[in-house]
Amino acid sequence: MTAEMQIDSYLTALRLHLGPLTIAEREEIVREIGAHVRDSAEETGASIETVLARLGPAKELAAQYRDGLLIRQASRSNSPIVLLRATLRLATKGVFGILVFFLAIFGYAMGGGLVLTALIKPIFPANTGLWFDGNGHFMSSGTLFPPPGSSAHEVLGLWYIPLALTIGSLALLLTTFLIRRSLRISQHWQSKL
Amino acid sequence: MAQLRAQPAEGDPSDRWVAQLRKGALEMAALASLWRGRLYGLEIIRFLENHSRLVLAEGTIYPILSRLKAEGLLTSEWVEAEAGHPRKYYSLTDAGRQRLRQMAEAWVGFAGGLSRLLEPVLHPADQDPSAGTPVLKTQEITQ
Repeated sequence: MTAEMQIDSYLTALRLHLGPLTIAEREEIVREIGAHVRDSAEETGASIETVLARLGPAKELAAQYRDGLLIRQASRSNSPIVLLRATLRLATKGVFGILVFFLAIFGYAMGGGLVLTALIKPIFPANTGLWFDGNGHFMSSGTLFPPPGSSAHEVLGLWYIPLALTIGSLALLLTTFLIRRSLRISQHWQSKL
Repeated sequence: MAQLRAQPAEGDPSDRWVAQLRKGALEMAALASLWRGRLYGLEIIRFLENHSRLVLAEGTIYPILSRLKAEGLLTSEWVEAEAGHPRKYYSLTDAGRQRLRQMAEAWVGFAGGLSRLLEPVLHPADQDPSAGTPVLKTQEITQ
């Protein structure tokens, strides 16, 4: 393989692994790395192979670009999918990331669950609610099939709908806020770690 | 003196710690290399090698430069070179200069404090010269 072919094959792999970036960002990176390889080989007299080895595998180099970008974009996003993807990525990097990931899952599950049961309440009114037993102790809440036995009484009635919607939405908002906050913090660390 | 390597060290926890520490300083080092004027990627790598003994896995610096640029701390421009291909030169923005100054102050304050703390660790003999007692070896102290 000639030197030019080696460079091309490295840059092609890099371009491939930079997939999620915009074309402009991708081409800019590829052009810069290409210039680096040629300059570095010229300057040190090293073979293209050596220079490419010093750069590390194209896949890993691309991953370093992508991580920074993914987390940066996500820290400005409201989409649960984008945020969860970023936290999942963060979770591979250490304990803080794992905690954030579980918090995200918990927050989305709780918020989403409450909103969902609020929507189900009009369809299955007897199965959805907040139940206490005869002594006034909390028994259960949400949507249950079958509903709790006769010892339980449901206390909210149709009030369940606005309450669950409000608390659920607040949980979703708070989760979004906390994830974005954590991603920003991790960005600062990342630039330091 | 041994050089601090950029590659993630495996195995020995103290090697890993040094690698983390090194990486931690890299963003500041990249900004600092541009304090006197614009440089392109390879020049930044060489500058850091010559001025700070930071030996980089060469791929490491480019994603960092890209991130610093996205944060508005750097700008870049392509400049035609005699080499035959253009090079991407980076320079500090005003925000970059300001951030670097803050980082430098924080770093120097932090390092100064820690150096005093670590002084007895590195020079145990200086600990209490007036007492005239023989310096205990680490082993004896822990027993």
